[in-house]
Amino acid sequence: MKTLVSLDVNGRTYEIAVSPELTLLEALRYELGLTGSKQGCDKGDCGACTVLVDDRPTLACLTLAVAVQGRKVRTVESLAQANVLHPLQDAFDQHGAAQCGFCTPGILMSAVSLLEQGGDAPDRLSIKKALSGNLCRCTGYTKIIDAVEDVAANTSSPGPPGHTGS
Amino acid sequence: MPASKIHTVKQTLHVIGQRTPKIDGPTKVTGEALYTDDMRLPGMLYCKIARSPHPHARIRSIDASAALAIEGVHAVITGKDLPVPYGILGWSRDEHALCLDKARHVGDAVAAVAAESEALAVRAVDALVIEYEVLPPVLSIDDAKTLVDEPVNGRARSGNVLKRVELEFGDLKGEFAKSDKIFEADYFFHGTTHAAIEPHCAIAKVDGASRLTVWSSTQVPHYLHRELALVLGLEESRIRVVQPNLGGAFGGKSEPFDLEFCVAKLALITGHPVKCLYTREEVFYSHRGRHPMRMHFETGVDAEGKLTAVRSKIEMDGGAYASFGVVTTYYSGQLMTAPYALPAYAFDSTRYYTNKPACGPKRGHGTVQPRFAFEVQLDEIAHDLHIDPIELRRRNFIGDFTETINGQRITSNGFLECLAAVEKASDWKARRSSLPAGVGLGVAGSMYISGTNYPIYPNDMPQSGVQAQIDRSGRVTLFSGASDIGQGSNSMLASIACEELGVDRRDVVVVSSDTDLCPVDLGAYSSRVTFMAGNACVDACRHLRTQILEVLRSEWHIDEPLDIFAGEVRTKDGKHRLPVKEAFRLAEARLGSLGSMGWYNTPKLGGEYKGGSIGASPAYSFTAHVAEVEVDRETGLVDVKRVWIAHDCGRALNPMTVEGQMEGSAYMGFAETLFEEHAVDARGLHLGPNLLDYRLPTPLDTPDFEAHIVETFDPEGPYGAKEAGEGPLHSVIPAIANAIFHATGARLRELPFTPAKVLAALRATSIPERLPPLEP
Amino acid sequence: MLPLPPFAYHRPRDLEEAVALLSELGPDAKLIAGGTDLLPNMKHGLLAPKHLIALDAISDLDRVEVLDDGSLSIGALTRLSDLAVHPTIRVLIPVLAEAAAEVASPQIRNMGTIGGNVCLDTRCVYYNQTQFWRSALGFCLKKDGDTCHVVKGGKQCVAACVGDTVPALIVLGAAARVLGPEGMRAVPLEALYTTPGSDHLKLARNEVIVRFEVPRPGERLRSGFFKLRLRRSIDFSSFSIAAALRLDGRTIQDLKLAAVALNSKPRVLNAEKLGVLGQDLTKEVMSHIGEQFQRRATPLDNINVDSQWRKEVIAVLVRRLLERVSAVGAQTASVSS
Repeated sequence: MKTLVSLDVNGRTYEIAVSPELTLLEALRYELGLTGSKQGCDKGDCGACTVLVDDRPTLACLTLAVAVQGRKVRTVESLAQANVLHPLQDAFDQHGAAQCGFCTPGILMSAVSLLEQGGDAPDRLSIKKALSGNLCRCTGYTKIIDAVEDVAANTSSPGPPGHTGS
Repeated sequence: MPASKIHTVKQTLHVIGQRTPKIDGPTKVTGEALYTDDMRLPGMLYCKIARSPHPHARIRSIDASAALAIEGVHAVITGKDLPVPYGILGWSRDEHALCLDKARHVGDAVAAVAAESEALAVRAVDALVIEYEVLPPVLSIDDAKTLVDEPVNGRARSGNVLKRVELEFGDLKGEFAKSDKIFEADYFFHGTTHAAIEPHCAIAKVDGASRLTVWSSTQVPHYLHRELALVLGLEESRIRVVQPNLGGAFGGKSEPFDLEFCVAKLALITGHPVKCLYTREEVFYSHRGRHPMRMHFETGVDAEGKLTAVRSKIEMDGGAYASFGVVTTYYSGQLMTAPYALPAYAFDSTRYYTNKPACGPKRGHGTVQPRFAFEVQLDEIAHDLHIDPIELRRRNFIGDFTETINGQRITSNGFLECLAAVEKASDWKARRSSLPAGVGLGVAGSMYISGTNYPIYPNDMPQSGVQAQIDRSGRVTLFSGASDIGQGSNSMLASIACEELGVDRRDVVVVSSDTDLCPVDLGAYSSRVTFMAGNACVDACRHLRTQILEVLRSEWHIDEPLDIFAGEVRTKDGKHRLPVKEAFRLAEARLGSLGSMGWYNTPKLGGEYKGGSIGASPAYSFTAHVAEVEVDRETGLVDVKRVWIAHDCGRALNPMTVEGQMEGSAYMGFAETLFEEHAVDARGLHLGPNLLDYRLPTPLDTPDFEAHIVETFDPEGPYGAKEAGEGPLHSVIPAIANAIFHATGARLRELPFTPAKVLAALRATSIPERLPPLEP
Repeated sequence: MLPLPPFAYHRPRDLEEAVALLSELGPDAKLIAGGTDLLPNMKHGLLAPKHLIALDAISDLDRVEVLDDGSLSIGALTRLSDLAVHPTIRVLIPVLAEAAAEVASPQIRNMGTIGGNVCLDTRCVYYNQTQFWRSALGFCLKKDGDTCHVVKGGKQCVAACVGDTVPALIVLGAAARVLGPEGMRAVPLEALYTTPGSDHLKLARNEVIVRFEVPRPGERLRSGFFKLRLRRSIDFSSFSIAAALRLDGRTIQDLKLAAVALNSKPRVLNAEKLGVLGQDLTKEVMSHIGEQFQRRATPLDNINVDSQWRKEVIAVLVRRLLERVSAVGAQTASVSS
C-alpha cells in the first residue's frame, strides 16, 4: 500500500506516494526524475547509486524511500549551483576523470563528503579509502584521485551546506 | 570501391596535441548526461526475459496463460515470434533472440514479457511454465571434443568446433632445426568479462508511421540496425537506432543482444514503447568476454637470444554462440607477429562451442591471451640465456615500415622507445638487481591494431563517414555514426573540427550514433574509431577549410597560404585577418550553404592467403609495461605496487584522453591477472554472477599507473594518430607474471594468479639468486 | 532492478512498541536497522517478511558510553563508521574500532549498525545468490531445499557467520543486552551463536538487541583485529580474527582469540585451551598459537575463496596479529599520549 511521504532532496521538499518497498534509488530516478544517481548492481556492490543522507555517503539502492523522511538527501544534481560547477565537478572535467561517466555521480558524492569533513588536505591513500566503495571500470582511478587531490590541495573545505562555516 | 585517402599532416597544429577536457565532460559530472535507462517514454512497458536454468536443454513447451492472465501484462513472446537467426558475423548467424529449439547455457533467453511495471514483468516471468528436456551439457574443451552426439550448436563445422585455423609462414622446420635452444610450455588464460558499470538497456518505440526506433546501450549501432532489420523482417529504412550516452562497454556491447530484439518485437506487438534493463546477473550471462584459452607455445632461439621460430597450439572455450569467434580464432595467431621479427611462425587455433555464456571480444580481442603466454615465454628465455629481458626484446625488434612474416604491413613503430621509456621510468637497471627478495620488476611488450580493413560484412563502402556542416552562427556541426562509449571519440572529432576550421570548442556540436542522422560508421570496436572516424572527419573538415580559404584568397586578392586558428583566418604576416564567423558567412554567400561529407576506407592490406586480411590494420600500436610487485611469501598475496606504461599511439591527439585509455587498459589487465574470474562450474552454473563475487579491484587495490606516451606520427593516421584504447592492456598481464618470477622465482603460467596458486608455486620454488646486472 | 517483495513498514517510537510489534506480527515480521544485509537478501528472494519494523525512530540506541565502573555501553544502532573513529573505542578497545573499520565499504559502514553486524545472516556462496541462480542450482538446506552444496551429503547448514565485529566483541567478553516481552536479559556474545547456519542466532523472534556491554578493559588489555579478504574494500570476510591479550611483562596472563568466516559459529580459543597460559609470548609461542588455532579452525567451501588456502594461511595470520598486538603498548600507554 502506498503512503504519502515527504522527502527532502537537494533542499527541496517532494511529497510523493510510495510503496514501502520502493528504494530511494528508484524514487530518485523514476519518481523524481533525478536520474543522475545510477544503478549498476542494485544490491550494494558497486557504489554507482551513492548519495548523501544527512551528509554521509549512502547507497540509495539499499535505502528505503520511506526511511529517509526527516533526513536530508543530496544527489549529484545538487552540486552545480546556477550552472557553475562544484570545484570537484570542474576538476573531474579538467583532469579527464570521467570517461563513460556512469560511476561519476556516485564517486563525486563520496568525494564531496570527504572534502566536507575538513581538516588537513587528504593524501592519496585517504582519498582511495574514501572512494573505496565506488567501482570505476574506465579510468583505473588514476585521474579520479588526481582530481580529488587537486581540489583538496587548492580549496579550504567549506563543510556541508547549512553547517557553520559554509 | 573508392580508394583510400591520405591527408598530409598540417604544418602547425593549434588544438591537436593539447590536453583538452572532453566536450561531454560537463554533462557527465553534473549527472545530466542521459543514459538509456534514464529515459522514460509515455505509456512505456517493461520487458523481462525468462532464462534457462539448464546449461543444455530442449524446450518442450512454454505455457504463458498464467502470465498473460496477470493484470497489466500485455504480451509474451517466445522463440517462434523471432525465428530468424542472427549473429554479428554474417557467416556464423547461430543465435536467436529467444531460443527456438533448445537452450544452450544457463541464462539463455527463452521468452520475454511486457508489463506495466518492472515488478509485474518479473512476476509474469515467474508465472511462465516452461518444460525442458535436459540434455547432457558440454562444459569444457575436453567435453567439446568428446560429447559430439548432441552438439551445442548446429552451426558447428564438425562436432563442437566452430572454427579451426592452421597457418604456417616461413621455413618452420628449418628454423627450429637451426635453433640453439627450443623452449616449450603450456599456458592457460581464464575467462574474464567486461563488467561495464552500466548494465545493458534498450528501449523500442513504434510511431504512427510504423517506424521503429530503438535506443540501446550498444557500441555498434550500425550492426544492430542491420540485424534488427533482418530478424524483424523490416526494411532498414524504417528503423532508427540511437545510442544514448553509454556507461562503459569494452567490447561487451559490440553485437546485438536478446533484449534489443525483444523490446522491438514487443513494441511492434503492443503498440507501446518497451524498455528492458538487464539485471547485473543478466549482464554476466550475456557476457561475450575473454575466451578461456589453453595454449602451447614453442619458441626457438639462437645463442644470442634471437628468435628463430615460434609455433603455437591454442584451444578456446567459446561458449554457446559464435559471436566474433571466427575472428577471435584468427586473431589468436595473426596478431602475434610483431613487435618481434619471427623468421618462421605457425599457429593452430581452434574455437569450440560449449554450454556456457558465449565468449567474444573483450578489450584486446583474441590476442591478450597468446600475448600473455608468449611474453612469459620470452621471460623464460631471457632468464635461461642470462639476457636482460628488455635487451632480449630489443634484439628481436622487427623495425618500422616493414612487413611481418604473415604479410601484415607495419608502418610507424615506436616499440624501442616504449621499452626505453619504461626502462628509464622504473629505474630498471639499478633496481632490477637491488630490490629485496619478494619484490620484483617484470617487463613485457605487445602490439595491437588500429582498426582492421576487414568489415564485418563484406562490402566496398567506406568504413566511416563524417558530415560537417557550418551554419551562420559560426558553429560547426559534425554528424558521425561513431560511438562515443566514454573513450572520448566525440571530443576527438570536435578537436579535429577546431583544428581545421579555427572554431572554439564551444562552437562545435557533435551529433553521433543515430542512424537517422549520421553517416555510417562501423562502430566502436577493434580500436578503429580515432583512426577511421578521425580520418573521415579530417576529410570533411579539410574540404570545407580549402573552400573557405579559397574564397578569402580571392576576396583578399592574394595567393599565399592562409591559416585558421583561434577564431580567425589570417595570412602569415597578419596583414589580412577575419574572424571565422565572418569568413563562414562570406563563404556561404559565395558558395552557397556550407557542408561536406568526409569518409575513410582502409587501403588493401594483408597477406595473399585465406584469412590474410584478418588482423590486417592500416597501423599498429605498440606497448611496453614494467610492473613492480611485492609478494607475501607466507600467504601468496601479490601486491602490484606500480605499473609503468609506455604506448606508441602515433600522435596523441589529446594526451589526457590517451593517458586515460592507457591507465584504464592497464587497470583492466591488472584486474584480470589477480582478481577477476568468469567461471562456470561443473553444473554449468556461473560462479557468482554479481559484482561481489566477480571482484573488480577497488581504488585501494589498484596500483598507481604511470603513463608515458610515445609518439611516432603514423603516415596514414589522422595527424599521425594510431589507437590507444586496447593495446595498453595486453602486456601488463605478462609484466606482472614476470615480476612475480623476478620477486620469488615462481614461474606462473596459469591465470588468474590467486594467492592459493601463488602460494603453491612458491612452495615448489626455491628463492632464486638475483642475476648480476647484465651488459647489453 | 531487483524489485523488493512488498511489505508493510512500521516505525515504532520506543523499544517496548518494537517488541510488542514483533510479538503481535509473528514470524512475518523482521527488524530493519541499516538494511545493508536484509535488503539485498530480500532482493535475492531469500526472505520476504510481510512487515519490516524500523528501529531508527527510537532514540538513544546509538550512544557509546563509558560507565562509572569502567565498562562500556554501545548502543545497538551505533553506526559502524562512528564506531571505527570513536576516540574512546579506539583507545580502550581498538579491536572493535579496527573491526568496524574493515566492514564492507565506507557507504555500508555509514548505513550499517553494530547490532545489524552482530545479527548478520550467515553467508554461503550457494545461498547469497538470486532466486533464479538458486533455482538453477537446486535449493539448499538454508532455504527451500534439503541438500547442502558445501558438504556433500550434509544434513546441517554450514553457512558462515561473517560479522566482523563479532569476534571483536567476543574477545572483549561483551554481552548483548536483549529486550523481550519478559524484560531484559544479557547474552554473552560467545553464547549468541549456534548451529546450524540456517538458524544461528540464539534470540527469540520477539527479542531486540538494545546495546552491547563491554566489561572494563583494564589497563593491560591489548587488542587487535585482522580481516582476510581478497579486495581491501567491499568484500565480506574470508577469515576474520580478533585477539585480546594481557601480558605481565612478557608473560601471558590472559589471551582470547576469536575468528569468523568459518562456520555458523565463531571459533573461540583462550590461553588455557591453547596451553599457553603463563608462558612468555615469544616468537615461537606466537607461531605455536597460530598453528594451534589453525588446527582447530576449518574453513569450508561456503565462501568463494579457496578453503584449502584459507586453512593454510590461518597460522600466519594469527601469528602476525599477535606480533602486532603485542608490539604496541597496552591501552594505558595510548591514553596518556
